[in-house]
Amino acid sequence: MAPLSIRNLSKRYGDVRAVNNLSLDLIEGEILGFLGLNGAGKTTTIRILLDLLRPNSGRAMILGHDCQSDGLRARRNIGYLPGEMGIYSDLTGREVLDLLSRIGGHVVDKARRSELQERLEFPDSDLRRRLREYSTGMKRKLGLIQAFQSDPLLLILDEPTEGLDPLMQESFYQLLVNVKQRGRTVFMSSHVLSEVDRVCDRIALVRKGEMVLLSNVEELRKLAARPVRVLFSEDVPATESLPPGTAAIQMSPRSWNLNVEGPLGPLLRAIATLPVRDIEIAEAKLEDVILKYYREGAPMGKR
Amino acid sequence: MKAAALLFAYSLRRARTVVITTGLLLAALQLVLIFVAGQLHSTGAFDQLSALLPPFARELLGPSFAVVLSFGGIVCLGYFELAVMGALIALAVTLATIPASEVESGFMDLILARPLARHWVITRTILLTTLVTAILLGLMVAGTWSGLQMFAPQGVEWPAAKLVNSLAVNLGMLTLCWGGVAMAIGAASSRRSVAGGAAGLLALATFLLDYVARLWQPAEKIAWLSPFRYYNPFDLIMGNPLPLKNLAVLGAIAAAGFAASYVLFARRDISH
Repeated sequence: MAPLSIRNLSKRYGDVRAVNNLSLDLIEGEILGFLGLNGAGKTTTIRILLDLLRPNSGRAMILGHDCQSDGLRARRNIGYLPGEMGIYSDLTGREVLDLLSRIGGHVVDKARRSELQERLEFPDSDLRRRLREYSTGMKRKLGLIQAFQSDPLLLILDEPTEGLDPLMQESFYQLLVNVKQRGRTVFMSSHVLSEVDRVCDRIALVRKGEMVLLSNVEELRKLAARPVRVLFSEDVPATESLPPGTAAIQMSPRSWNLNVEGPLGPLLRAIATLPVRDIEIAEAKLEDVILKYYREGAPMGKR
Repeated sequence: MKAAALLFAYSLRRARTVVITTGLLLAALQLVLIFVAGQLHSTGAFDQLSALLPPFARELLGPSFAVVLSFGGIVCLGYFELAVMGALIALAVTLATIPASEVESGFMDLILARPLARHWVITRTILLTTLVTAILLGLMVAGTWSGLQMFAPQGVEWPAAKLVNSLAVNLGMLTLCWGGVAMAIGAASSRRSVAGGAAGLLALATFLLDYVARLWQPAEKIAWLSPFRYYNPFDLIMGNPLPLKNLAVLGAIAAAGFAASYVLFARRDISH
C-alpha cells in the first residue's frame, strides 16, 4: 500500500486549472520532492490531500484511506507543515504544541519533542514565550516541531526551509535523514533545487498544474550535462566534429570547455590522439535538467 | 469528540477576557441604573419628570412611557438599552465569525489537518456563542438582583422576577439569532471582517426597519422581516406575557443560521 496515492486529480477555479489530471504514487520510506514554480499547483495539491480543498475530479489516498470520503482516517497518521504558520499570537509555543498534539489525538511525547527541540536548537525558554515575540525563523521551527512531534508515518511539508537560516536548514536535512531511517515517508514541496538534489530520492515536477516530470534523482542527474574541461600541452585547432552529446562552450588552442550529456567514452575516444595534458570533469547539476522542465515548451512525460 | 472539546476549551480560554469584562460591565450598569432609579424614586423625581411632559407628548409616547418612567422601568432599562443590545449582538457576531477568522489566519489549516471533522468547528462555535450569551445575561440578571438588594429604597415595588427573566430570555434569543446569521455568513467567508461587517450591516438595517415601522405605518408591512420586531420589551414591562411566537421566530432564525453554517462549512474550500 502506497503511503500516498494520487489518481487523475484535478482542481479548477473557473477557467483556471490549478491541478490537472495529476497522478502520483509515493514509495514507503522515500523522500519525494514536489517541485514547481509559484502557482504551479503544489500547495493546491497538498491542500486537497488534507481535504481543505475539494477536487473536481480524481482522488487521493493516504495510507489506503480516501482523503475526501475517509479523511479522518487519512489524516490520523500524517504530520503537516503549512507554508505559513497561522497561529494566534497570544499563545505560547508550548501551548501551541500541546493543543495541536491533543487535537491530533496524540499523547504529548515529551522525549520526542525534546529531541526535536535539541536538533532545531529551540530551548524550553523559547517554548515559554508567546508567539507574538517569535521571529519568522522561530515560527518555522515551531511548525517543524508540531509536524514531526507525533512521529507520523507520512510527513507533508510545504516549503519547509522557507525562513530557516543555513544552519537550521542543515539541521532540518539531518532530521529528514533521521525520519527516513525510521521508515517514514516524506512528501515535501520546494522550489530550492539544491535542497531537493541533496535530500530527495525522487522528484515530481509540476507546471501549470500538470506533472511534467517524475524521476529518481540519481537517474535524473545522469541526464544532466557534465561540464568537462580539456587542457592541452600544445596548441590544438578548434573542431566542429565533436561526438554526439558533446557541446562546445568555449574552444581555445590550449583548452576546450565542453558540456557532455551521457557517457564520456565517445569524447575520450575523440581526443585520444590529441596532446591532452589534463581533463577536469565537474559533477552534473540537477538544476540544469530541472530548469529545462520549468520552461515553457519542455517535453512533458514521466521518467 | 475529545478534540472538539479541546478546541472549545481553547476558544473559551481565548475569549475569556472579553467575556468577563463585558459581563462585569453589564452587571455594573445594572447596579448603576438601580442606584439612579432609587435616587429618583426617593426624591420624587419620577412624578416631576412625568409632569414636565406636555399631554400631547405623553399621548404620543403611550402608556409604556409611564411604566418606563418608574423605578421598575428604570431597573429594566438595561435590557433594552441600545448600547447593551449593541454590545451583546456585537460580541455574538464576533464569536460566531471565529471560523472565518481561523480560516483567514491559517489556523484552520493546522486543526483540520488533524483528524477533526469540520462539523466540530461549527458545533464548537455554536456552543461558545450560546454559552457566552447565557453567561452575559446571567451576569446582568445577577447584577439586577444584587442592585435591588443593595440600592432599592424601602417600600418600593421591585420588578417581578418573571419580567426580568422574560426580558433576559427574549434578549438572549435576539442575540443568538444574530449569532446564527453571522455564523452562516462567516461559514462561507474567508475574511472575518467581511462576515462581521455584513452581519453588522444587516442588523443595523433591520433595526432601522423596525424603528421606522413603529413610527411610519407603511413600513409596518415589511417590518416582520426584522428580528428586532420579535423583541418588544415595552409590552413585557406593561405586564404582557412573553409571546412564545417571538421566541420561536428568533430561535428558528438562529437554528436556520446554525444549520446553514454546518452545510456551508462542510462544502466549502478552505483557502485564505
